[in-house]
Amino acid sequence: MHRSATLAVIALALTLTACGSKVEDPVEQIVVRPPGVAAVPAAPAAWDLVAAGKAAFAVCTACHSAEPGGASGIGPNLHGVVGRGAGSVAGFSYSEAMAKSGLTWTESELDAFIANPSGKVPGTEMVAGQVADAQRRAAIIAYLASLKN
Amino acid sequence: MNDMPQQPQRSRAAKWTRRGFIGAGVLAGGALVIGVGVRTGNPVGRLGPLVAGGEGEQLINSWLKIGADNIVTAIVPHCEMGQGVHSVLAQMLADELDADWSLVRVMQAPADGSYVVTDTIRTFVAPGTLDAPDWLEPTWNGLFTKIAQLADGLITGGSSSIRTTGQRTMRIAGAAARQMLIGAAAREWDVAAAEITTANSMLSHKPSGRSAPYSQFAAAAAEQDMPQTPQMKAPENYRLMGKDVPRIDIPDKVNGAASFGIDAVVPGQTLTYAAVRRVPVPGTRVAKMDAAQAKTMPGVLQILNMGDFLAVVADSYWQAQQALNAVTAEYTAPESTIRSSDDQFARFAAALDAAGDKGGEEVIGRGDVPTAMQAAAKTVSADYQVPYLAHAPLEPMNATVWARDGRCEIWTSTQVPLMARSAAAKALGLSKDDVTMHHPMLGGGFGRRLETDYVVMAARIGQATGYPVKMIWSREEDTQKGLFRCADMSRFTGGLDAQGRLTAYNNVFTQRNDPADACDCAFYDIPNKSIRVAEAELHLPFAAFRSVDHSQQAFFIESFIDEAAQAAGRDPLEFRLAMLGQSPRHKAVLEKAAAMAGWNAKPAAGHGRGIALTESFGTIVAEVVEVDMSSGKPRLTNVWCAADPGFAMNPDGFRNQMEGGIVFGLTAALYGEISLKDGAVEQSNFHDYKLMRMDECPAIAVEIINGDHVRLGGAGEPGLPPAAPALANAIFAATGKRIRALPLAKHFA
Amino acid sequence: MVKFTINGKAASVEADPAMPILWVVREKLGLTGTKFGCGVAQCGACTVHLDGQPVRSCSTPIAEAEGKAITTIEGVAGPDGELSKVQQAWVSEQVPQCGYCQSGQIMAATALLRDNPQPSDADIDTAMAGNICRCGTYVRIRAAIKVAAGLEPAKGAELRS
Repeated sequence: MHRSATLAVIALALTLTACGSKVEDPVEQIVVRPPGVAAVPAAPAAWDLVAAGKAAFAVCTACHSAEPGGASGIGPNLHGVVGRGAGSVAGFSYSEAMAKSGLTWTESELDAFIANPSGKVPGTEMVAGQVADAQRRAAIIAYLASLKN
Repeated sequence: MNDMPQQPQRSRAAKWTRRGFIGAGVLAGGALVIGVGVRTGNPVGRLGPLVAGGEGEQLINSWLKIGADNIVTAIVPHCEMGQGVHSVLAQMLADELDADWSLVRVMQAPADGSYVVTDTIRTFVAPGTLDAPDWLEPTWNGLFTKIAQLADGLITGGSSSIRTTGQRTMRIAGAAARQMLIGAAAREWDVAAAEITTANSMLSHKPSGRSAPYSQFAAAAAEQDMPQTPQMKAPENYRLMGKDVPRIDIPDKVNGAASFGIDAVVPGQTLTYAAVRRVPVPGTRVAKMDAAQAKTMPGVLQILNMGDFLAVVADSYWQAQQALNAVTAEYTAPESTIRSSDDQFARFAAALDAAGDKGGEEVIGRGDVPTAMQAAAKTVSADYQVPYLAHAPLEPMNATVWARDGRCEIWTSTQVPLMARSAAAKALGLSKDDVTMHHPMLGGGFGRRLETDYVVMAARIGQATGYPVKMIWSREEDTQKGLFRCADMSRFTGGLDAQGRLTAYNNVFTQRNDPADACDCAFYDIPNKSIRVAEAELHLPFAAFRSVDHSQQAFFIESFIDEAAQAAGRDPLEFRLAMLGQSPRHKAVLEKAAAMAGWNAKPAAGHGRGIALTESFGTIVAEVVEVDMSSGKPRLTNVWCAADPGFAMNPDGFRNQMEGGIVFGLTAALYGEISLKDGAVEQSNFHDYKLMRMDECPAIAVEIINGDHVRLGGAGEPGLPPAAPALANAIFAATGKRIRALPLAKHFA
Repeated sequence: MVKFTINGKAASVEADPAMPILWVVREKLGLTGTKFGCGVAQCGACTVHLDGQPVRSCSTPIAEAEGKAITTIEGVAGPDGELSKVQQAWVSEQVPQCGYCQSGQIMAATALLRDNPQPSDADIDTAMAGNICRCGTYVRIRAAIKVAAGLEPAKGAELRS
């Protein structure tokens, strides 16, 4: 008899029906709080630009790591980005446009790029992550600038 | 094209019709139904409240109800995952019922044992019984209904819905209900039933000039005895079947109203959200979890180490994912020594080497291969391989669970709602009656949602929290930690006689799942054949992938046939046609695709055309792919597809499935690769697990041949298998480069 | 507190300013037509309009919407539910299969046709390349955009009701 996925599925179902149950409980369960109780807002103090920037950077972490030595993901690692040349993270596959841009990521260049990525570097593969708000850009750049070895 | 068969096979149709009717009858528990909700003790009595709770609604039989407003609702057991099954099964029922299509609605049948798909299970498990003598039919039907119920046989897959449930359940339910309505009207009007006609959901008696909407007799019809042989339509009388009826689900899919599993709400409750991270290597466990930072993060409610996965529950999914990113863990060492893709393919090669010319388990043995091979004027040999693939439905795996007080309610996208219910019940130590399933539309299934792993994970999280929680996998989890189309390797030797005919065929491969005959191109007339499987260990867990074994076997077989044609010095089309003397339908399909493509006209400079022919899930498909290699990389310009599904119930829907299957198959052929590093999957999201996009999609033309209106084939999967070999053969035609390992794009990086 | 309009109505939500628009729209506003597909702006299922511009809502923080207008798939039809030209073309060409990506496809196509009412095939390919359809309905999306633009007649299935 050959292995039939369908038969296997049916056999499995029969087994599930027939067998006794063995419940696997959590190995470890950390209860922070019950639902419905509002968390204390953890908003950073307004004057702490770096902390505000770190919070604002959260959405960027979907594509970018800012950890020292962190692996590049969909976007390159941004640890130490302020001051370095565009397209310079080893092993990351940049768009041709970025690789040939000749930019150096000064704070003002970063600001212009994040404000409008494809306007600053037409052909960039950074299709999301535009930050229109100047204050938020300043905070994110302050956070990135604070990440030095 | 939408050709009606020239000569309908009446006697065969009538025989099949009777069987189908009895099937529907037994399915409802011994008597197809009647008066639901009014007779205690009748097994269908409980269906009324379940499916016909609306005011003025009357269930006529298990599969349809009629409202006071004359709305007919088809109760469809199969899941809607894009294949259009809700519409086409309603279309089949409505045609036999003579219903006004504008007054037809569809309802998803509940996850209840009464709605198991007996004929689907039977077709998979014991297709031979479909040809049993009539007198055995009630026995077989009763047996398979019981089996289906025991096996939680409410399943959508195998490109089976139209040809099993549609043909043998929905049409019969519609035809039976129509006769019951006529019977009720004849009694009330005191006229002969034969004088009553039906059309557009109306009953008419011409001699007396009386007419009434179906709704007027719905309650009385439900009291009628079931007709033993409801009259089914012959193809020339089809009014909706075979027509491009617009899909019922589409309007809600253009305005955001369609509800998928991921959109579930728990009435009256505030949802919480779980993000999860499974162990990176199959079979390992979490050795140590550090959640010190995560538990201080905003919105976090609970952090769970479930042994085989980690979960963070939070007020918002985004917060849960952010906190999960901050959880670190160590894992136990894996047992498997397969660490890389090279390791995996080395296992396959070793199994093939060990099998040699004769070893392995025989699947097909015909004639005398060694003698024919020895007598061959020329031999040709080749090895082919394919990588693992992720299904990557765009809706990530997810399930919403509310477990409390010894009960559990689950909302999820699934192809197997009853199996998911049982799996969750088992995981929670509940009886399956204590688990209620809600299964809305699927944002893609492709076989991945035949598995219940994600439902069980959500149930375990829900049990731990005790409050409603929606678990959603990230795309990274979906790409790396799920179940996969197997990798495989296949080895061929062919012998050609002095006339260039393929007289000996020796093939061995390592993975065999479903369908059983996917490895055999039985339609080609090859006198001596030995096809064997030499099993080899797989590192990643398996789940059926759209077209299952055909997804790799078609690439192996139709690439090899092309190589044999080349060795014989023959045109690939001519070589194939010469082997189709016993298979006129296959020949017609292949000739049609070639004609559509203008096969005999030379393609433009730098372009090449490749052809492939397959039969899968009862449907014969030939595809010609044209590729432009002038830039050095493959750019697909055109696909021409001819298909014979027996009879296309909804030609436009069938074409849409072919187009989708072709894109799915070309995507896998060009880009699809899940590779291993340190025992874990390397790819993570759509930037490194590429799917075909609009700017890469060729023009696609599809034509249909209706070759057999009784034995129908499927639609969801058969478009896929020929795509990969046709493309590989086209690249060979353009470049002279024969690629034997997928994905293709990797060879032109 | 972030203030914006959603499909023409004023809204204000209490949310982490870094939370992506996608999750605010789905979880806090209950508008589930906008879909989660990849989380990293690769698939386009989450496409919404921000002041008329298509953005990937999975990767755009809600803070970016302050004072702006968000339009989701639920806001594309007219006030009486009358489908837009693009939506109508999606129906006439019978585009969707599973339908999960189609909200994003329609948002992308709507923005394309507003900026470029007579797009060429190449324009369509470029504008739509960011939106993945796993069911493979690209041929029909291309046709529907042309129908919506008036470049081709609607196919019109046989039976309309």
